[in-house]
Amino acid sequence: MAWKRICEATEVAENSVKKFEVDGVPILVVNYGAGFRAIPPICPHMEEPLEESGVVARCVLTCTKHLWAWNLQTLEMQGETERPLKTYDIKHENGVILADIDGELTYDFDSEDDMDDDFFK
Amino acid sequence: MQITVQAKSGELTFDCGQHESILYAGLRQGVPLPFECATGTCGTCRARVMAGDIDVQWKQAPGAARLKPDKGDILMCQTRARSDCVVRVPSELAIADAARPAARRGIIRAIRRLTKDVAHFDLHLSAPMSFQAGQFVVIEAAGVAGGRAYSMVNFAADCERLELLIKRKPGGRFGDWLFDELQGEPAVQVFGPLGRAVFRPAEDRNIACIAGGSGIAGMMAILDHAVQADHFRSHAGALYFGVRTLADAFYLEQLSRYVAASHGNLDVVIALSDEAAATPLHAAFPLLKLASGMVHAVAASEMAARDRDVLTYVAGPPVMVDSTIRSLIAGGAAIKDIRYDKFG
Ligand SMILES: Cc1cc2nc3c(=O)[nH]c(=O)nc-3n(C[C@H](O)[C@H](O)[C@H](O)COP(=O)(O)OP(=O)(O)OC[C@H]3O[C@@H](n4cnc5c(N)ncnc54)[C@H](O)[C@@H]3O)c2cc1C
Ligand code: FES
Ligand code: FES
Repeated sequence: MAWKRICEATEVAENSVKKFEVDGVPILVVNYGAGFRAIPPICPHMEEPLEESGVVARCVLTCTKHLWAWNLQTLEMQGETERPLKTYDIKHENGVILADIDGELTYDFDSEDDMDDDFFK
Repeated sequence: MQITVQAKSGELTFDCGQHESILYAGLRQGVPLPFECATGTCGTCRARVMAGDIDVQWKQAPGAARLKPDKGDILMCQTRARSDCVVRVPSELAIADAARPAARRGIIRAIRRLTKDVAHFDLHLSAPMSFQAGQFVVIEAAGVAGGRAYSMVNFAADCERLELLIKRKPGGRFGDWLFDELQGEPAVQVFGPLGRAVFRPAEDRNIACIAGGSGIAGMMAILDHAVQADHFRSHAGALYFGVRTLADAFYLEQLSRYVAASHGNLDVVIALSDEAAATPLHAAFPLLKLASGMVHAVAASEMAARDRDVLTYVAGPPVMVDSTIRSLIAGGAAIKDIRYDKFG
């Protein structure tokens, strides 16, 4: 458990995303109106930077590149999306957003052991 | 040679010839491999070779930028097999619904210039092809390395003559060849039909088409099919056609005919990005509206004032498609109601 301050809640406008770096870990904060999410800043499909390709509307984060999308409340995958979004636990205290950062969350595009089944994850 | 594909949903095996890409071999045999552009730019057809010898045709393909070649990652549309191969695909293999694409020969005829950098041409096929409105073919010409995708402008079943449209890209190889070098009626290789951004009247939907430049090609087929099926008797339609200036717009006569046949239910708006629209209607084609601004912005503001229940088609340069998708989603559109083709 390592709760770290990411930003003030007011720094990320409603229905938008903003990238921060906390102790060298890049984090994308998503404000979907009903709440916030902290996620790795790349799309789990083809590594596009979600800072540019992500759109937030109606509690859904969509990547404009190939329309992968996730419900931000339930994290349910939408449409033809094939990989879940990874998220950091967050707390929202006194207008500040904190995330439980215990190392960087990544998607296994090229981990060393992907000769097994990681390529599919 | 045999290709075995391992996917999340299981394993499949198909034959692959010496002179075809792994992607095309699978698609023509009904194996629903993932792809979008079929021409090396998008990266969707990435796979990992687990065993076997391969030959990568276009090593600098932009779609390969994020691949790890040392781990055996390839673009299936740019890779041929040199032995039996086992490849992994990081996706489900959904069931194929469309007709299987096939390789044919074609002859390019009747090139007509429409504007300074746009031409319409016919492709006469060695065997008839059935395709859906909105689909494309990949053409390979001798002397131009690699294939180029072009969307059909016409729509017909069992068709031997495809009508295609090309907007010349400065310094582009195929464009230079077609506009400047081509002599007589050259034979080319054709693979298709491909593409999922298709129109089917039976889906019973209102439609909107948003095209940037040559993205109009597939939209013409969609409107052609819709008019043939009298779709606009009971459904609303809209076309937003983005060009730089009025002098860059084309197909205006054809578009006027579609509007005239639409029972008042088809709206065609030409969006001018680099000049102000002098009048609300086109002076020579008063059934067509004019607007100033980038096509994605013009479409978004007009669509906000309309019925939300609409299936939207988007085609054009990748940046134009991305900004259009962004404004559609921000405007409340559902992803299942967006179909797109990125031209590059
Ligand atoms: C689905 C789809 C539909 C399209 N529909 C149309 C259309 O209807 N009208 C239109 O004008 N354009 C269309 N395009 C764009 C078209 O395919 C060409 O990219 C464009 O005409 C420019 O071609 P060029 O040869 O002039 O330019 P170039 O820059 O020479 O080449 C452009 C494309 O050709 C391919 N390519 C280039 N070099 C190689 C190589 N060495 N090996 C293999 N491949 C190579 C790549 O896909 C590259 O993006 C479409 C593209 C896609 C993906
Ligand atoms: S990269 Fe995000 S959907 Fe494909
Ligand atoms: S389908 Fe092969 S790179 Fe787009």
